[in-house]
Amino acid sequence: MTQSPEIRREETDMELIQRWKAGESRAATRLVGRHSQALARFAASIGERDGVEELVQDTFVRAFAALDSFKGESSFRTWLFSIERRLMLDRRRAERRTRETVPVEESDSVSEYGALDSLIADEAQERVRRSLEALSPTQREVFTLRVQQGMSYKEIAEVVGSTEGATRVHYHNAIQRVKEFLRDE
Amino acid sequence: MNSCMEIETREMLPDLLHGKLDTSTRTRVEKHVAGCEECREELEVLRTVKAAAIFAPTIDVNRVVGHIAPYAKITPEVEAPARSRVVSWLVAASFLLVIAGGGSLLVVQQKDAVTPYATATPSQRANIIPRPVTVPSAGANDVAAVERPVVHTLALASGVETLSDNDLRQLMTDMDSFNVLPASEPEPVMNVDNGDNSDQGTR
Repeated sequence: MTQSPEIRREETDMELIQRWKAGESRAATRLVGRHSQALARFAASIGERDGVEELVQDTFVRAFAALDSFKGESSFRTWLFSIERRLMLDRRRAERRTRETVPVEESDSVSEYGALDSLIADEAQERVRRSLEALSPTQREVFTLRVQQGMSYKEIAEVVGSTEGATRVHYHNAIQRVKEFLRDE
Repeated sequence: MNSCMEIETREMLPDLLHGKLDTSTRTRVEKHVAGCEECREELEVLRTVKAAAIFAPTIDVNRVVGHIAPYAKITPEVEAPARSRVVSWLVAASFLLVIAGGGSLLVVQQKDAVTPYATATPSQRANIIPRPVTVPSAGANDVAAVERPVVHTLALASGVETLSDNDLRQLMTDMDSFNVLPASEPEPVMNVDNGDNSDQGTR
């Protein structure tokens, strides 16, 4: 808290991880502060209805518990996103099981955006929200990671467990659909 | 459909949006966007989508950190038995190899225990029993008694390569005097006993 932003910028994620392993709890605060908001944005963007904060918290708890398995082959942020994505998928599977008496309908995916309704006031942003609804789940993930998080295709492929080429195709299909949607509105 | 064929440049629009391009690339992309209506439209769409993501709940960092358990190095308990089993097998195999190797060494040493005459020291030569060898011959030299020590070693371990020039010369001479077929029955070998190595004198 007392350190200047310049000093903070010098510390890489790997350095902070090593410091946390050495017993410095403030390193964890830095890492969480650095990546938590991006994780929250990603979760909200791809339709996490409620409990975004809990989801982000679970992501960090899981990540820190498994930090020895992180070898630094990808960036720490990419690794966090892949953990968060798996948690979201697990949650949705669990939700489906608890609602198994109620058939899953197309409207379910639309209702995932209910939490955003109150957040997005601007008309243009509302149109964006609806255009994202028109995408397939994978297209939506790839598109939001590319546009909102600025990830490379390689990083996105690591997060969604796909190939670089496949994510590139998903992105191009997504941007075409979003543009067409907005043009037709 | 896209009319812009600058696919590579269009793919960089999200990177331009996030300021991830180096100066020269950014200048090139911005120049293209300025002259391409389709890319301008796409960049505007991307800007709107990026801005829409701002409205995510604010995360309480301290609350999150409070749930993180202190670091504890993970030890692979499940894999440990499998690894120790492999190590046990390796140890057992090494033990067998050592036994087999040691046994072989012992056999070789026993064979080498009989010191070849040529390489023996004078004191060792004194302990080697000289034994007359009778070689039947059809020529003038009917009996060639060569006083050479009897060396009970295998051919490969007899140490021929260690013989001196004189010994080799003597050996060649002896071999020249051999006949392929004996002319008569070989005479019984006389046992010369010097007292302490009686068993080596008989054949």
